Amino acid sequence: MRLATLVWSNLRRRPTRSALTVSGVAIAVMAVVALVGVARSFEKTLLAIYQARGVDLVVVRAGGVQRLGSVLDQKLVDQVRQMPGVAHVAPALAEVVSFEKLDIFGVLVRGLPLDSFLLDDLNVVAGRRLESFDRRAVMLGAVIARNLDAAVGAKLEIVPGKPCEVVGIFQSHNLFEDGSIIMPLEELQTLMDRKGEVTALMVIARDKSKAGLDALREQISSLAPQIEVLMTRDYIETAIEVRLARAVAWLTSTIALMVGTIGMINTMLTAVFERTREIAILRAVGWGKGRVVGLILAESIVLGLAGAVAGSLLAIAITQFLSRLPQSGRLISGEISPGVVAQGFLIAAMVGLVGGLFPAFRAAQLAPTEGLRHE
Amino acid sequence: MNSVDGDRTLLRADRVSKQYRDGRVEALVDVSLRISSGEYLAVMGPSGSGKSTLLNILGGLDRPTEGEVYFQGQALGAMKNLDRYRAEKVGFVFQSFHLLPTLTALQNVQIPMFELSLSAAQRAQRAAELLDLVGMSHRSSHVPAELSVGERQRVAIARALANGPLLLLADEPTGNLDTKTAAGILDLFERLHDEQGLTLVLVTHDPGLAARAQRIVRMRDGRIVAEP
Repeated sequence: MRLATLVWSNLRRRPTRSALTVSGVAIAVMAVVALVGVARSFEKTLLAIYQARGVDLVVVRAGGVQRLGSVLDQKLVDQVRQMPGVAHVAPALAEVVSFEKLDIFGVLVRGLPLDSFLLDDLNVVAGRRLESFDRRAVMLGAVIARNLDAAVGAKLEIVPGKPCEVVGIFQSHNLFEDGSIIMPLEELQTLMDRKGEVTALMVIARDKSKAGLDALREQISSLAPQIEVLMTRDYIETAIEVRLARAVAWLTSTIALMVGTIGMINTMLTAVFERTREIAILRAVGWGKGRVVGLILAESIVLGLAGAVAGSLLAIAITQFLSRLPQSGRLISGEISPGVVAQGFLIAAMVGLVGGLFPAFRAAQLAPTEGLRHE
Repeated sequence: MNSVDGDRTLLRADRVSKQYRDGRVEALVDVSLRISSGEYLAVMGPSGSGKSTLLNILGGLDRPTEGEVYFQGQALGAMKNLDRYRAEKVGFVFQSFHLLPTLTALQNVQIPMFELSLSAAQRAQRAAELLDLVGMSHRSSHVPAELSVGERQRVAIARALANGPLLLLADEPTGNLDTKTAAGILDLFERLHDEQGLTLVLVTHDPGLAARAQRIVRMRDGRIVAEP
C-alpha cells in the first residue's frame, strides 16, 4: 500500500463533502482563470492592434489616465511627420458610443484619415472602403456589424438624429478592431463637434533600436508641454481600462480564493474531528506528527487540485460562451493561455496547503491517549 | 542478552506516578516494575486501578508525571519523541481493535510500516506473511466491517507485529470477545510468545486469563498491591 491509497480511501468515504469542497475550490479557480484570462486576452488584443502594424510610439496628452479621454491638437501630426526619424505617423480620434436600444454599450468609433496606415490591411468583406467624398459614412468591423445586425446600406445613429450610412464591412485579424466602427477623421470630428482634435498619434520609427526610440521620444515630447510619448507596450499596460480589468480580476479572484480556503479549512477540520480516533491510532502505532500532517495536507491538496481541474474546465467553457455573446464577444477571444491555467493550479494547490495546514496541525497536536478514547 | 552482566531486564518502571487534571486525579502512584526479556506478564485489577495508564506509559503512548521508564536501560524520558520507540520496539493490541475502517486487513497491517524504509511491494509482502502468521490470509482483502470481532483482533495483532517489536502490550484484548474466541486469541498470543520470544504484557480483569501468564501483577488505586 502507498500513502496515496490511504489518502484516496479517506476522501472517498465522504463523497458529498469532498465534492462540495472541490466545487468551492473549482469556483474560485474558475474565477481566477476566467477573469485573469479575459483581462489578459483583452490586453493582448489591444496590444496586437499596434504591434501588428509596427507602431513603436503612441503620443497622447500628458497626465491623462483614461487613454480615450486624451485630447491633442491635430497640428501636431504635421510637426511629427516632418521629423527625420519618423517613418509614418497616423492620428486617430476615438469616441465611445452606445446603442441603447440594442443593449450594446461601449463601442469604439475611430476617426482615421483615409490615407492612414491603420486602414491598409483591413479586409473589406462587404461593400467598399471609405472614400474622400463620403459624408456621414462608416465602415463596420465584422463583429459589431453582426451584433448590430447591420448590413451595407443600413443607417446607423451613432449620434442620435444624425444617421450615418454603412458603406462597408471589414474583417481584420484583431477581435478588438472587428468590434469597432471606422469613420473618416474629419467626419467624426464634425459629428462630435471636435474640430482639430485627435486622441492619439501612432508613430512608426525608422530606427527601432532602444537608443533611436528614446531619442525620438525626447524629440516628440519637446514639441509641446502637455504631451506624453509612450512605448506601445507601456501605452497599453498603463491604460486605465487595462489596469481596471486587471484589478477587478484580481480582486474578485482574491475574494473567491478566501472563500475557497475557508471552505477547505472547514472541511478538513471536520474530517480531522471525525477521525480523531483514527489519527490517534496512527500515532499509537508509531506515526510521527510530521507524517500525520503530511496525510491531512495530502488530502486537502488533492481536493484543491481536483478543484483546479474542474475550475479550469469551467473557465474555458465560460470564456468560450462569453466570446460568443454579442455584448462581450467583441472583446474576448475565448482563448485561455496555459500560463493562466497554471496560475489557477498553483493557487488551488495553495488553497489546499493553506486550508489544510491548520487542521493538519490540530490533528498532529492530539494526544494519542485522548484520541483513542474518542468515539 | 541485554547487558554484559547477564541482566535480562527489558523494561523497568522506576517510581512512576501519573496525575491528571493538575494533580486532582492520581492514576498511578509510585509504581516500580521490572519486566524481563521474553516474559509473559499479566496485569490485573478492577476498572480505574491504573492498569491501562501503566500500559500506556510502558508503551510510550503517555509520559509519567514523575519517575522514569527504562527500555533496555535507556530512559524513555530522554527520548525526544516516543514515535520511533512505539514504531520499532512496541506493538499495541487494544480492546476495541482500533483498525482503520476504510482499509482492508492487508492494508491495516501495513500502516505501522510507513515508519520503516520499505517499498510498497515489501510492505504488502510482509503484511501478507503476518496475516498468514495469525491465520488470516484468507480474509486479507476484507475491510474490518466484514470481519468477525475475533478476526478483527487477529488482524490487529498482525498490525502490532508489523515492525518486529520486542514488546507486545495488550489492553484487555479479549474484552469484546466471547469465551471461545477469547481462548483462540490467547492461544495466538502464547504461540507468539513461545515461538518468537516476544515479551508479552497482558492487561485483564479476568482471573482465568491472568492465570495463564508466568507472573501476575495486581493493581488497585494506582498502586501495585501484590507482586509475587
